[in-house]
Amino acid sequence: MSSDPYSSRVRELFRAPAHAGELDSPLRVAVEDQGVRISLSAEISAGEVQALRFQAWGCPHVIAAAEAFCAGYEGRPITDLLEFSASDLMQSLPVPIEKTGRILVIEDAVRSLGSTVRDASTPDD
Amino acid sequence: MAERTELLYLDYAASTPVEPWVAEAMSALMTADGNYANPSSTHSEGRRSVEHIAHAAGQLGSLLNTDADRLIWTSGATESDNLAIFGAARYRQERGRHLITMRTEHKAVTDPFSALEKEGFEVTWLDPEEDGLLDISKLEAALRDDTQLVSIMHINNETGVTQDLGTLGAICRERDVLFHVDAAQSVGKLPIDLAALPVDLMSMTAHKVYGPKGIGALYIADRPGVHVEPLLYGGGQQRRLRPGTLPAQQIVGFGAAAAIAQSRMTDDLRHLAKLRERFWSGVRDILGVMTNGAMESAFPGILNISIEGLEGESLLLALEPLCVATGSACNSKSQEPSYVLRALGRSDDLAQSAIRFSFGRPTTVADVDFAVERYKDAVEKLRDIAPGRAA
Repeated sequence: MSSDPYSSRVRELFRAPAHAGELDSPLRVAVEDQGVRISLSAEISAGEVQALRFQAWGCPHVIAAAEAFCAGYEGRPITDLLEFSASDLMQSLPVPIEKTGRILVIEDAVRSLGSTVRDASTPDD
Repeated sequence: MAERTELLYLDYAASTPVEPWVAEAMSALMTADGNYANPSSTHSEGRRSVEHIAHAAGQLGSLLNTDADRLIWTSGATESDNLAIFGAARYRQERGRHLITMRTEHKAVTDPFSALEKEGFEVTWLDPEEDGLLDISKLEAALRDDTQLVSIMHINNETGVTQDLGTLGAICRERDVLFHVDAAQSVGKLPIDLAALPVDLMSMTAHKVYGPKGIGALYIADRPGVHVEPLLYGGGQQRRLRPGTLPAQQIVGFGAAAAIAQSRMTDDLRHLAKLRERFWSGVRDILGVMTNGAMESAFPGILNISIEGLEGESLLLALEPLCVATGSACNSKSQEPSYVLRALGRSDDLAQSAIRFSFGRPTTVADVDFAVERYKDAVEKLRDIAPGRAA
């Protein structure tokens, strides 16, 4: 059994978070909870997520999870953001169960971003 | 920065490598062609083993300027602390049940005191000043007629802050209160003269001073009223205070490490002071960086620094391949910040961002320069990733 608390995937995502940063876009959210701070920004076109960026203050699992989300959701329909579940990230990275609360902060941020994107895409009455 | 992938060990406050000469001395007592006999045996090989142990006790006694027969061998500083604290408190409980220690002690001290509280002893927990030092007046004010034991560590394992044993011990001696010192970090690193210091009990270990793990000692002063009740029973060894077959090879290793430490302590201290100064000069201008504990009163082998705005666990991973210690008890199950740094008044965030760099004999200037660059890079990277605070 490995005593390393980080998987090779977590280490790689943490070492080279290609999606760290901010987009020049009004579609952005920021969430702070559980000792984690996360902000997400998005560029949307034709109902698809064109680009995602994150900024995060948290443990390596949080940073890796944020990077994994951004990398995995570019090119997907914006409706996927509203249906995002952290459980897939928890399993694929993986993230230890005791850090579930922190990864759920990312889930909150992604769904909040989904709502923001949806509201911005819906024509005013 | 040049890529460097091999580990760089800067955690010498946690443990040190065994000096080759020490390992050689030990191995001679372990194999069939050496002297592996039980020192309790009365045959010639057993007596030879006793002689090896006596020689080692002499080496450690010489380092500390005390008679070798004042030293009780244990498995390490944790056991020594337990034997001293439980043993002295119980031995003197008819005289009183009040004890004093500091909140910044190692768990090997705080946990026994907490356990004694459950046995009905009363413990006064002293807070340090912001610089980590104990205000003498706090100790004087805490002493009572029924106080029996004061336990204060010499070098703090997290911050390196070094307490004034002479002054603290004199106050205790004046009140006929036993003074125990956890010297796990200081034996073999700082000059200690037990013939002159008013110390009654001192805990020590070999593996912090280039000796083997699994061996320590407790010094018990030859003074009326200084005694401990044993924690273990089962044999007559060591005046029945700590029975059990003596691990001659471990003891010989401790003795050899003590002899080396004695011969090169001045050089070691000069080397460590140079390294710490170089490291601190390299990082002190980083925005928000600060030392934990006053450097001027700290052992030069340890430098503990916090930084504003960074998360400790991520900082630790970003620092790889440096092997350093986080100032937090942080692991995947707990994010509790260091109780030592909290006692110094650090916020949870600052305590969690703390990194303890500890240098040793093998550490080079190039190692320190690499560590400085690595720290700077890690800080820059994590600050780039971090958002501003959410509204």
